[in-house]
Amino acid sequence: MNKLPQTIIILMLALLSVIVQAQEPIAVVVNKINPVDELSRSELIDLFMGKYVAFPNDSKAIPVELKGDHAIKVKFYKNLVGMPLSRVNAYWSRLRFTGRKRAAVFQSNEDDLIAFIIANEQAIGYVPQSLITDDLKVVYILNE
Amino acid sequence: MNKSGLVIRLAVVIVFTAVIVGFITTQLFYRYTFLNEQRLGEQSIKQLYNTVSPTASIASYLGDEELAKEVINGLISNDLITAAAIKTDVLMVKSDNYQESAAMLKFILFSPFQPERSVGVLFVKANEKYLVEKANNISATNTIVVAVEALIITIISIFVTYYVITRPILNISKALHVISPGTRERINKPLSHQKSEIGQLADDVNSLLAKAEQQMLREKSLRNEVQVLESRFRMLFENATSAIVLVEPQGDILLYNQTFEQLIEKLKLPLKKNYGNYLQDLFIMKKDLHEQIRIAFTNDESAVAELELISYQEEKIWVQIVVTQLITDDFQENYQITLHDISKRKQQISLLAQKANYDSLTKLLNRQAAEQHLKQLIFSRVPFALIMMDLNDFKPINDIFGHDAGDEVLIHVAGKLMKSLRKDDILSRWGGDEFVIILPNALQKEVTNVCEKLVAQLSKPYHLSQYNKSVCVTASMGVSFYPDDKLELLELIRAADKAMYQVKKEKSINKELYLAFSSDLAKQANDGTSA
Repeated sequence: MNKLPQTIIILMLALLSVIVQAQEPIAVVVNKINPVDELSRSELIDLFMGKYVAFPNDSKAIPVELKGDHAIKVKFYKNLVGMPLSRVNAYWSRLRFTGRKRAAVFQSNEDDLIAFIIANEQAIGYVPQSLITDDLKVVYILNE
Repeated sequence: MNKSGLVIRLAVVIVFTAVIVGFITTQLFYRYTFLNEQRLGEQSIKQLYNTVSPTASIASYLGDEELAKEVINGLISNDLITAAAIKTDVLMVKSDNYQESAAMLKFILFSPFQPERSVGVLFVKANEKYLVEKANNISATNTIVVAVEALIITIISIFVTYYVITRPILNISKALHVISPGTRERINKPLSHQKSEIGQLADDVNSLLAKAEQQMLREKSLRNEVQVLESRFRMLFENATSAIVLVEPQGDILLYNQTFEQLIEKLKLPLKKNYGNYLQDLFIMKKDLHEQIRIAFTNDESAVAELELISYQEEKIWVQIVVTQLITDDFQENYQITLHDISKRKQQISLLAQKANYDSLTKLLNRQAAEQHLKQLIFSRVPFALIMMDLNDFKPINDIFGHDAGDEVLIHVAGKLMKSLRKDDILSRWGGDEFVIILPNALQKEVTNVCEKLVAQLSKPYHLSQYNKSVCVTASMGVSFYPDDKLELLELIRAADKAMYQVKKEKSINKELYLAFSSDLAKQANDGTSA
């Protein structure tokens, strides 16, 4: 194997990854042993926007959130509620004044997030489709 | 100021109109204001809703009571809102005075994340009282404004009316009061109304005054003419030498002139309003008057008659009366009666008649007149005695002393004879020295007495002063009686004459004899023939 093809492949992958990052759908995933197989968009909004803290089957749900403003996070909220992240944050800030506490668990990056979901039956989070593993169960695909 | 004056009337009208219009506009404006306020209120409420809707949506979405309360409290703190409530599937948050009713504003709350997903309802009750109050305040202000406006308009209108209309009219009217129509005076046109209706009025008034002046001048000249004419007529009427009287058919006098008045005065009658039909009471022969008038009027002529007036004095007054029928313009029948005094003419005529009937020397009736009297007596069958008298020894007086002395003797004899006779007896100079005496209704005895008296009167000698000589005349008399002796005048005269000659004849034998009766003569003749 010479170095050129490797480089080309790496470049191509990199390019691909960029394309994936732009085009790739976001998957909402849960622990694979979670009995919930599928969620509606409303159920998804209700869980992530703090209306409910339980799955439709009344089992407790823990939304897992990325800290800061990851591209995926921006994209997720943009897709889910049609709002920029700043407004979503403002929403939570307001709720915080009424004494309502957010049930979500924050993870620093996507890997930690995935690890948390795999480790926690009640967890629900969002990942790029490319990062889905067998340990995760996709309950909703957010598309463009 | 005049109660029904323009200014007062205008003020009343304006004030009334202002009150009515003000009332209506205030009501309308109030209604409008109220609705507008309501609309504005709703709009404000909508704006409020817009303000709170994100929070309300979140509260509803999350079913967050605290957040919902915050929204409700925020809403009711506004004056516009009395009550509010948020209702979701799980939550019912409301203000204290919230009551369910239809008059609620209802806003559907949607999920902040899914605009199509309704998550609850926001009920808002608008503060009607506040709106009413606000509307009332605005309306009150408006009412005051309208009232002030009306007041200002009224005052300005009154001032304008007074200064622009009433005062100029009053000035014109005042000027008119002072002006007497028919003069050269005119009213002044108000300076500020040279071309306005009031100016026109002044012009019209002036042209009317001009017309009045013309008219009056014309009338004045006409009146003058009439006056002149009237005075002439009056002069004519009053100075007419004839009495002129205008009477009504019933005899009421409408008009009379001075001459009539003088005539009545002359008759010594009281001046009355009515002297009977056609002044009949003034006349002796009323019947003749009526007859003449009847005849004339049937022939459509003026009646003319000569009649004697009643008079309480010796002088007889005769008039020629002319009665003319007049029909007045209003078809009334009147009579114009003219009385011409013809007394003088009558007098002259009677004087003439006297001349014809009297002997100029002795002033006794002449033969002709005596014959007339005799005829009249015979015609009316009055018995009388006829004495034929002849003077004896008269011819020698005439011959010796001349005719003047004869005439003097004749006058003397006439005077003597006149003295011896009664009032009804008639003495006439029959001719020369012959006299005829008629004694109506006289018996033979009376005749004898009279004759005796006559002879006694004549027997006294008469002194002819011119010749200083006394003369003595005697008379021979023959008498005949009507109707006892003769019926015919001529025969009667002849009989008396015959008796007289018989006396003359027998005088030579019997100096004392002076009288013979025709009847005696006839008896003697009869005796003679019979003897």
